[in-house]
Amino acid sequence: MADLVGANGQRENFRIVGKPNTPGKLSYALATGIAKFGIDYVVPNMLHAKFLRSPYANAKVVSVDVTKAKAIPGVVDIVTWEDEDIKNLNSFGESFGPKRPWLDNYAEHEGAEVAVIVVAENEDICEEALRQLDLDWEVRPHLIDIKEGRKQDAPVIREPANEIPGLGGPGMGGGNPPRKGNVTYSNLVAGDIEAGFHEADHVIEYDLYLPPFACRFPNPSGSVAWWSDDFYAGEGRSLHIEGAVRERKAISNMYRMPLEKTVQEGLFMGGKYCDWGLRKSQEITPLLAKRTGRPVRCVNTREESFDFIMKERYMHMKVGFKDSGLITAVDDYSIADGGVEGSSSFGTSGDQRYGPYNTLKCQNIRQRMEIVDSNRGKMYVSGQHCPFNWDSGTMAVYLIAEELNRDPIDIARINLHGPTSQSDPTPVPSFEACVEEGKKLMNWSWHKAGTKRLPDSRLHGMSFRYQMCPRHAFSGYESKLELRDGVVHMATQGPIFGVFAVECNAMVVAEELGLEYDDISIDFDYREKFSPVGGGADGTTASAWVTKECANILKQRILEAVIEEADNPAPPSMFSFGQPQVPSPFKGLKPEDLDMADGKVFVKAEPSKGVPLAQAVKRNLFATYSGMPPLALWTQGMGRMLDTMNTAYCEVAVDTETGEVEILKLGVVADPGKIMRLTSLESQIDQVMYFSQGCQLLEDFCYDERTGVKLNNNMIDYKIPTMLDVPDVDRHFLESRAGNAAYGASGISHSLANTHLIIIAIHNAIGVWVDPPATPDKILEALGKV
Amino acid sequence: MNEVKTEKLGEAWPSVEVRYTHETTQVMAAEVIEKIPPLLTEFRCAYCERVFGSLSELQAHYTSEHPDAVVPRIITLHINSRYCQVLVEPHWTLKRTLQYRLGLTGTKEMCDKGVCGSCTVIMDGRPILSCTTLAVECEGKDIQTIEGIAAELKNKPLIDAYCKWDAMQCGYCTPGFLVTAKALLDKFPEPTEEQIKEALSGNICSCGTYPRHITAIMEASEKMRQGA
Ligand code: FES
Ligand code: FES
Repeated sequence: MADLVGANGQRENFRIVGKPNTPGKLSYALATGIAKFGIDYVVPNMLHAKFLRSPYANAKVVSVDVTKAKAIPGVVDIVTWEDEDIKNLNSFGESFGPKRPWLDNYAEHEGAEVAVIVVAENEDICEEALRQLDLDWEVRPHLIDIKEGRKQDAPVIREPANEIPGLGGPGMGGGNPPRKGNVTYSNLVAGDIEAGFHEADHVIEYDLYLPPFACRFPNPSGSVAWWSDDFYAGEGRSLHIEGAVRERKAISNMYRMPLEKTVQEGLFMGGKYCDWGLRKSQEITPLLAKRTGRPVRCVNTREESFDFIMKERYMHMKVGFKDSGLITAVDDYSIADGGVEGSSSFGTSGDQRYGPYNTLKCQNIRQRMEIVDSNRGKMYVSGQHCPFNWDSGTMAVYLIAEELNRDPIDIARINLHGPTSQSDPTPVPSFEACVEEGKKLMNWSWHKAGTKRLPDSRLHGMSFRYQMCPRHAFSGYESKLELRDGVVHMATQGPIFGVFAVECNAMVVAEELGLEYDDISIDFDYREKFSPVGGGADGTTASAWVTKECANILKQRILEAVIEEADNPAPPSMFSFGQPQVPSPFKGLKPEDLDMADGKVFVKAEPSKGVPLAQAVKRNLFATYSGMPPLALWTQGMGRMLDTMNTAYCEVAVDTETGEVEILKLGVVADPGKIMRLTSLESQIDQVMYFSQGCQLLEDFCYDERTGVKLNNNMIDYKIPTMLDVPDVDRHFLESRAGNAAYGASGISHSLANTHLIIIAIHNAIGVWVDPPATPDKILEALGKV
Repeated sequence: MNEVKTEKLGEAWPSVEVRYTHETTQVMAAEVIEKIPPLLTEFRCAYCERVFGSLSELQAHYTSEHPDAVVPRIITLHINSRYCQVLVEPHWTLKRTLQYRLGLTGTKEMCDKGVCGSCTVIMDGRPILSCTTLAVECEGKDIQTIEGIAAELKNKPLIDAYCKWDAMQCGYCTPGFLVTAKALLDKFPEPTEEQIKEALSGNICSCGTYPRHITAIMEASEKMRQGA
């Protein structure tokens, strides 16, 4: 813990790192609309493609006759699932689950891509051609309500051949019952649950609904691809694709193209917050471009973009605890939406191991999960869910506090194990510091549910939640820095998706080399290896650690070169016109006698003896470093070590006449270990709090139960918060330097997102539970007023 | 664009170093506008991509080859202080026209339903949503897109403030916000926080940047007034 092994991990004075308002290196491109995203590309002679999308929630295309569609002027190509080109396609994208053909005739949710792709001169013609297909559908029973779907008499919705569970499903923990109907099982047991309950003075049981919510891409996914004979790398054709991927490997593998001949020059991915799965529209364009010999664009509409970033889960919790508030046993049973085939198992069994329970002293834990196949929709690879079952623990802390009439902060404190392991009894310094500040920030004064009325007669509620800041870095990074013509360059492939990771790395380089932030030139080049991405802030701090090591290697090379050039000055050039050469002040010194600051190389013993970097060393130099910070938390067992923590607080006022909830205050006290780039840290916290607000107060997937059709996959009916909805988020940061990445940073990724902070505050106000989203009608219903 | 071709150590390929500053993006935006042809010289069939020399030839082609199709028409738009002829079909939105006919891709599309404000442009001084505005309705109107705003030096304080305050994360919604902010500042050079919130309430950002816009616009307003 802490950055003990890295160079300057214990640095005390920071000039650059942690500073606010250092403009993003690409911000001017974004603000002025110069930045192009996948959807924006218009290439000469470009064609458009569209998938047939299923109007049914569960159906098979038995046959299709494309004759009429093909005859429409402007239709250039129609491909079906029976075409050899399609049969040969294999996705190497970041998706989990069983392998189905890349496209087949089977649709598992309304809106799923199925059976046919149309390519035409424009999108209007594509749509007309899709309308003109003669399709023979076999409509099957569908399943939207997973609580119904788990019942023995429910229709089985998936073909037996497609029953293989996804990653992390049954088999992972061993001893799971065999699959039954639509249900697979994932059970994990630790300790002795019966003994734990036996020890308890109290037992509480409660239900928890984790709401599903929609992916967060602001830019609809899609790509434009073309093949060209060009200069990109050697002989032969290159595949050029824009709007596709974070790294080009998935596409180059899919089309068996060498990576160096898979070109993606665009830098802008849009907001991809832990939703990394490639959509079919991002994968298909190279094939269609090859078939037609022309560039092809395929972009999803907003309606086609309503994938899940989190699937729904019903949890039933039973928690045993002592009079002191100490938890002795946790029995966690849940029914989770398994989604359609190929859905990510994150959000179901994939995050069972990352829950809140690992932070508890209590080690008697049972988790049983029924994962129910459904026709609700698809969740691609996504990590935003990770913290969400966390709120089963937040609820436990709150309910114990209610039962014992104690402050939930004290209940959390009693139950948290120590910083080093689950058997460590000592307090967690980062947690203690966070709650101390948090109490001040919120003017914290706990009250029992339903007991506080505001002067305007609304009911007042409050809530508290803790999480750990996950140390990431289970993926490695390859950093490369160059001193070129006196300027330090950082090479990166980008791309950019909204976390200012490149800038954070540049700040570290400037810090280590005694330069200014603006002195660091970023070489954005898709062929470069270094990509500082890897989740959010956690990936940023991890990549920054690698860059810090690289910067120190470059620094050493610079100082060595300075001495070498000082001792062996170049002979006077013909342009020196006989002027005497000024001897270098570094002549006869050793590299260890020198340091770098204020853009200069200087003599440590005599700081006034300094020479600007570009003059001190003439040659070009480069340094590389490949690796990762030690002790990634995710691989050490999430929650079993607690170094950097964060806490969140909420105050609401509930109008019991109208059911309206006003968030009076959202407060966050976070210890990211070390603040790297303040402005983006603040923004990420705002984002995650608004995101959490959306899922607790507004967002809902509505289905027509009879048809399984989604009713609100548009931004009119699926509401996310606007500027008028969001409260100010009061944020306060602590720097314990206890994380494992650069300078002891951890980042705050994932950890503050929540599904129940506001929901608990509402309960604390009105004394009854309302499942998210807590809309006014549901609140009035819970109060028995409608 | 400020491109510097350099040989990189240990690498076979030339690197393109792109620096995005106010100056370079102002030039890039001006170049995009400059490229808009004032007059139509080719008339392309939407169905078979055949190109004709005049609208009448194209119309004759439609009559004989695509008799059921809607014939495109020429409209004249006044965009970013330039007049330009555009060939559009009657159902084309202004957003589609900007992207596909004029190469103005700074105007973004998030919802395509008039909800998110990403496609905002200024028309006759008012912010409007180009995804729900038909191009044929825009004749005779004065339209300013994000490129037009970026190309004008007087808007530097606004763009600088957006960048300084990170009023963007992924940046996709940002041009729409900035165009709305510009329209607001034109109308209220010294807006209150409430006016800013009200004006930007139709712009949706999924990256949590809302408070940053208020800070940026407040600062820009002050700088613009000082500079005026
Ligand atoms: S794209 Fe026009 S308002 Fe959303
Ligand atoms: S900055 Fe990403 S949508 Fe606003």
